[in-house]
Amino acid sequence: MSGTFAEGLASYLGRAWGETVAIENLARISGGASRETYRFDAVTPSGQQALILRRDPPGSLIETDRRLEFLALKSFHGRGVAAPEPLILELEGAELERPFFVMKRVDGGVTASPFQPMAYEPHAAALGEDFFATLGRIAAADPLSLPIAEAADEPALDACWKRELDYWSDVIEADEQHPQPIVRAAIRRLRANPPPPAQKLSVVHGDYRSGNFLHDGAGKMIAVLDWEMAHIGDPLEDLGWAMDPLWRHGETERVAGMVPKAEAIRIWEQASGLKVDPAAFRWWELFASVKGQAIWISSAKEYRESGFAEPILAFSGWVTARRHDEIIAEQLQRSWAL
Amino acid sequence: MTPSVRDVLQGCAIALGRPMPPEAGPDYAASRMGMVSMLTMLAAGEAEQCAGAAIRENAAIRAVLDGAAVKYDARLAGRLAAAAAGEDTDLSVPALDGANARLRGLLIELHEAVEAANDAATDAQILALYGRMAQLRRLALPGG
Repeated sequence: MSGTFAEGLASYLGRAWGETVAIENLARISGGASRETYRFDAVTPSGQQALILRRDPPGSLIETDRRLEFLALKSFHGRGVAAPEPLILELEGAELERPFFVMKRVDGGVTASPFQPMAYEPHAAALGEDFFATLGRIAAADPLSLPIAEAADEPALDACWKRELDYWSDVIEADEQHPQPIVRAAIRRLRANPPPPAQKLSVVHGDYRSGNFLHDGAGKMIAVLDWEMAHIGDPLEDLGWAMDPLWRHGETERVAGMVPKAEAIRIWEQASGLKVDPAAFRWWELFASVKGQAIWISSAKEYRESGFAEPILAFSGWVTARRHDEIIAEQLQRSWAL
Repeated sequence: MTPSVRDVLQGCAIALGRPMPPEAGPDYAASRMGMVSMLTMLAAGEAEQCAGAAIRENAAIRAVLDGAAVKYDARLAGRLAAAAAGEDTDLSVPALDGANARLRGLLIELHEAVEAANDAATDAQILALYGRMAQLRRLALPGG
């Protein structure tokens, strides 16, 4: 890249907006391990905007489609879900050399690591209501009427599970560097015992969980983040992922560190108008852990192949991978024996 | 196992030695250093326990392979019995990991055969083994 990152960004935005742009307060922020994320202010003769830029990294946890992420944000911004407003999508990279998009920044929110105990006290119950109701509203929307339908495949109701399981088991097949008998056993159990067809097609956020949103510190979500794995599929997929024990802040009773599981399901059902079939959900719960393990296996491979440069890839490929082995082993013993 | 302690510590050294680009800013640099710090602490614990965990896991897998060897077709049974009769003589971490990879590969094959035969008793034994393997490899987060 000739010139600095800020100069390249100013040049690009100036061309896009047709006026001179100065970049101020540019800083990289953590999170969203599949994209480099930067905060900055764009100052133009007509005013100042608080913005976020998400750029493809040289190496990442997973290959994701930035166009889908952009369209997913566009699908829900201003439609009862706190999705930040997407502004510009650049697929070639231009001055910044790698594909990126720009969205409005939501200031004043806080986030929490899913490994931080009691992260949402004293407003965990209120936040849990908002968190699972928001997910219910995403599930209730008709995906074929939303911008995401321009780029997302539309699976048959009875094919949602297979498409996802095939995708993530292929990731494991391609990226596994040390034999993983636990997750492989889970994949075989899932394949041998498919869930019933999805009750409807929904937009699946793909990474809807504790730690992937901003809240106001008083029980209200103000931004749903990291839509990079968004797709169309079974709405129970997101619910299973959101409740995975990995994201429970070390707790056993409350899911996502917020509310008991039964309460989360009640909130989601009320907001979505859908029902959680226990047999189907059992499948999507185990699938969530398999998907997680696939991401961590991929991350361990990327860590090695990229020359051990990104500490977050070590954490994911090592610490979270070991934790997911525990979670999968526990599920297999509890409810998936022959 | 991947990443190995060596991989993690090597990565920490690289992260510490590589300057941040100017656009990164102090908050990102601090967050990255926090991650390096946590990885280093975890690696210290793992360095103490990884050889012992591998030896115990390898022994536990051999015990299951040994018990199951007589139940399946001759070709698989012979390989299971041979693996079960092995032992870890080279106690370096890479050698233990190599043995572990071979044993885990056989365990996958055995479990597939167990499922095909609908052998619920051996399945229960293997699922219990998975729980033990995961416990042996558990990483405790600092303060967790």
